[in-house]
Amino acid sequence: MKELKKIFSLIFIVALLSFMVACQDNEEDVASDSGDDDGTIELTVFDSDTNSDWEEMKSPVGQKIVEDTGVTLKPEFDIEGGQTKIPLMIASGEYPDMILSKGGGQLVEAEALIDLAPLIEEHAPNIKKMLGEELNRLKWSKEDPSIYVLTNAAVENQAMSPNFGAWVQHAVVKELGYPKIRTLEDLESVIREYKELHPTIDGQKTIGLSMNTDEWRIQSAFLNSGFMMTGGSDDGEYFIDPETFDATLHYRRPIEKKVFEWYNKMNAEGLLDSETFVQKHDQYTAKLASGRVLATIGPDYLMYEGQSALREAGMEERMYGQYPVTLNEDYVSHAYHSNGLQAGWGISITKDCKDPVRAIKFLDYLASEETQIMLNWGIEGEHYEIVDGKRVIPEEEREKRNNDKDYLKKTGIGYNFLRYVPHWGDGVVDSTGQTITVNTREEAIKNQTDIEKEVLAAYDVELWKDLYPAMEEFPVKAWGAAYNISIPASSDLKVLNQRALDVTKKLVPEAVLTSPDQFDEIWSKFMTNLEKNNIEKAEEEYTQLIKDRVELWNN
Amino acid sequence: MKKGIRKLSFKNHVFDIINYSFLIMVMVVTIYPFLNVLAISLNESVDTIRGGIYLWPREFTLNNYFEISKYDNLITGFSNSVLRTVIGTVLGVFIQAMVAFTLSRPDFQGRKFVSTVIVLTMYFSGGLIPGYMLIRDLGLMNSFWVYILPGLISAFNIIIIRSFMDGLPMSLQESAKMDGANDFTIFYKIILPLCKPVLATIALFIAVGQWNQWFDTYLFNSMNESLTTLQYELMKILDNTSMGGGQDANLMRSTNEQQNNLVSPESIKMAITMVTVVPIIVVYPLVQRYFIQGMTLGAVKQ
Amino acid sequence: MEITRKAYSKSSAIQKKKKTFWKAAKNQKMLYAMSLPFVIWVFVFNYLPVWGWTMAFQNFTPGISFFEQEWVGLDHFIALFQDERFYLTLRNTLAMSFLGLLFGFTIPIIFAILLNEVRHSLFKRTIQTITYLPHFVSWVVVAGIVTKMLSTDGGVVNDILMGMGIIDQPFQFMAKENWFWGIVTVSDIWKEMGWNAIIFLAAIAGLDPQLYEAAKVDGANRFRRMWHITLPGIRPTILVVLILNIGHLIQIGFEKQMLLGNSLVVDYSEVLELYALNYGIGLGEFSYGTAIGIFNSVVSIFLLFLANGIFKRYSNQSVM
Repeated sequence: MKELKKIFSLIFIVALLSFMVACQDNEEDVASDSGDDDGTIELTVFDSDTNSDWEEMKSPVGQKIVEDTGVTLKPEFDIEGGQTKIPLMIASGEYPDMILSKGGGQLVEAEALIDLAPLIEEHAPNIKKMLGEELNRLKWSKEDPSIYVLTNAAVENQAMSPNFGAWVQHAVVKELGYPKIRTLEDLESVIREYKELHPTIDGQKTIGLSMNTDEWRIQSAFLNSGFMMTGGSDDGEYFIDPETFDATLHYRRPIEKKVFEWYNKMNAEGLLDSETFVQKHDQYTAKLASGRVLATIGPDYLMYEGQSALREAGMEERMYGQYPVTLNEDYVSHAYHSNGLQAGWGISITKDCKDPVRAIKFLDYLASEETQIMLNWGIEGEHYEIVDGKRVIPEEEREKRNNDKDYLKKTGIGYNFLRYVPHWGDGVVDSTGQTITVNTREEAIKNQTDIEKEVLAAYDVELWKDLYPAMEEFPVKAWGAAYNISIPASSDLKVLNQRALDVTKKLVPEAVLTSPDQFDEIWSKFMTNLEKNNIEKAEEEYTQLIKDRVELWNN
Repeated sequence: MKKGIRKLSFKNHVFDIINYSFLIMVMVVTIYPFLNVLAISLNESVDTIRGGIYLWPREFTLNNYFEISKYDNLITGFSNSVLRTVIGTVLGVFIQAMVAFTLSRPDFQGRKFVSTVIVLTMYFSGGLIPGYMLIRDLGLMNSFWVYILPGLISAFNIIIIRSFMDGLPMSLQESAKMDGANDFTIFYKIILPLCKPVLATIALFIAVGQWNQWFDTYLFNSMNESLTTLQYELMKILDNTSMGGGQDANLMRSTNEQQNNLVSPESIKMAITMVTVVPIIVVYPLVQRYFIQGMTLGAVKQ
Repeated sequence: MEITRKAYSKSSAIQKKKKTFWKAAKNQKMLYAMSLPFVIWVFVFNYLPVWGWTMAFQNFTPGISFFEQEWVGLDHFIALFQDERFYLTLRNTLAMSFLGLLFGFTIPIIFAILLNEVRHSLFKRTIQTITYLPHFVSWVVVAGIVTKMLSTDGGVVNDILMGMGIIDQPFQFMAKENWFWGIVTVSDIWKEMGWNAIIFLAAIAGLDPQLYEAAKVDGANRFRRMWHITLPGIRPTILVVLILNIGHLIQIGFEKQMLLGNSLVVDYSEVLELYALNYGIGLGEFSYGTAIGIFNSVVSIFLLFLANGIFKRYSNQSVM
């Protein structure tokens, strides 16, 4: 009996302890909710991205924002992109004041978000001014033209470095006398020639062309090159006809077969790294950093770790220049083909929000020209000065900006707050004619190495982007970017897309690695497999989604 | 006779030599990943990108550890992790051993029912959403007890303890019963002390599981900094430094000032691994001695 | 005695049984007190959430109430059983888990037994400590190390094989479908052997030392002692772990396969749980994911009962 008591007392203690803990938490909740009397308010926000630089609104910029608005943000930064937590939020029906999501489909279906259109109309002059006509692009659907998600993308951005290209070592082009690198054929002969001249580099075997294909990266680098080399712009797995808006799985365009046939030929001749489809991200990066990979293809963010390591090691001649290579001269690179305002990802106000008007006013404050300048440059007299009417970053401050890892956290500059609203992109100027962001042409040139300058001069340009057709040469895409279109939950398009991707990831590398006489066979097997997996139906549905979007946006 | 013994000891020596060399070989092979992690964690992070670090750092630095240490909440996280590990292990071992004891009793009527109900839990789960709703409805959100209560009963551990108890002689229990001891006393006074090797093992399993767990913090306590755990904080650091985001990572880092401040995720990953493992290694000998040495001669007889 | 008991009328036997049951139950009240609360415990934490299985029979949409969900019957199961990819991933899962059972299960036992033969305490402890360390190194890191070792570009395995003249061209281990299952199995043993041996070491530690002393006196050599004392002594533990593992045959996780795999070997590397992730939760298809989960559970529980029944019958060892 005594022991029985022991057990029960143990259980009792546990219950008591948990009760105490629970009470303690409640008290905290009560404390944090108050404080509305003096005009300040705390807004909770679920943020689908991480942010190691979050400054808890204590930095100079953060303080200024609190001072101006009375709003304190309390964000939760998610480590899984919202994939887990958003469905859980919906299931439990409890929401924070605002949610920064990567596509609000599930939230909209659960009726968790409020329509921002009337709020913007009434309380957000700055947002209206910034987005102008393109506010239309935020409308949800034909049936429901409400605005649920306010994009947080850069507006009218002209990136200083192109988002895709063929990368060739400076040493290679220099030794070969700066040959023209415009087509895959050019690229191939440059690689071949240099490899024959230098079968080894620093005692290790020279690698012609290598690519980063680890997990999802196979799409960004290798598979996307199919349309990038044949005059397509990035619409994910689909190619959208700019006239008819017909969506085609991009590999099904006959011309793309030629691109992958080129890879096949490169492989057969030993110019393609035989480990291309096997290596992990860090192996690839280590190869680039060893200085013996002559060329690579893909977006900059997959290879700049390698670039940085080369720079750090003083191997500047082994760093890479970026060339707008396409299949042949009939095509040009569409790296700068503008999507227009990116809709899809962004911030929403939930139905549980304490004070939606306050929230939208806060967002509008962040989007104003004055705040935008502060978020990019910092606070006048502290992080920058005005000399002759121009914003100038003092040398000492610039030094900190470039080398202090905690600069953003200490100052509150940058993505701490820019991430919550649409913001002006690089190259956009304010009412005094100065750029709103700090990234300027001059800045980019300043950052170049000597040999990079030399190579660029030999090609008669200042920046790599000058080799590319400029943004003005393309009309803005009427459908934006197809990859961020939200697919209705009732459609099986998601499943069809996943199947197509599975087939692609398997068969395209196989086609590239096979002997050239079997390429055709595997490619047609690829095509039949896609058809077997109902790709035509997927294309039809996708086309419809695109058409609906175009119609919605242009009304 | 004499000759026979000598032959035996010669054979023994041969066996020992082969066995020792084999085990040394195993040791050499298995120590590599750990040394590799250690070396990379102590190597300068941009240099690590070049690869080729095996057993020794090329450019020694402690910066990767400093990089981790500058994050907030690590102290809170550490103390919560220690707390959950200690409480979870003590409660877990005791309760699981107790349930195992009832299952080891052949005369216990509920044996079949209880063991089936418990073992089956290993093979199904209701899924993320129902599990989450349950914790919420029980009021365990934003509380420390969510670390302890849901996983308190581990079927695997209970079965392992039970199979160990099955090996103990029944005579001990019977004589105690004669002396008028009740079942709890028998369990607590007689069986528990005899189970040290298996209890040490189970304690190790539970402690490592508790120590490494981050997902429950993420799901239930992520808004409450005072309840954070070390693993969750480390997970956040890792996620911050790795560029897994693809397109959006590009967007996040397009400003000049960030490009110049590259921290290789590789180095951070390795340093984090070390931060996680070292406490385990330090505490390990305490439990190890229970299952590495055989029982002392008198233990069973007592 | 037995026969006379059987001769009693049925009803009185039941009567008596009931009576003895309650009588015994009263005697065993402490045992009940020590276990029933925890049955309720697992009922709350493990069994209650199973209402979530209803999702498999709906087109589940988060946020709307249980009664508003659209019910679709067995549609998701039919879709699952009609998908070729499901069978492919099932095959891969079973192949790798059988290899795991064959080697990943037996090698730690052998290792534990051999380690037990070491008499130097310090040496024994050192080896044991070191071999369990890889357990704490994540699969991301281990997969990276394995890929580097097997690389054709300065990978140590190819270097050795070429140095010994066994091959004259580097061999692309990671690109060969036929090698994949083997690579996963070996990597898994490498990483988990020391850790998995701990259970068996503990079981050995529980053996009565007198048995060894007696065997020594009888002049049994080392092999005989291992074979006749150690192995039978830990047999219950071995069988119990084996039964539980058989229940887990189709639930083997997906992390190592995903990290070691690549697009060239995907037909041999994709396992059921990755399939569930890619086509279930990954696409927001909770219902489909749940259907796969139910399939998993049903098969696992079937395997568990099968294994349990067989071992109960032939070895008198069981978990339930």
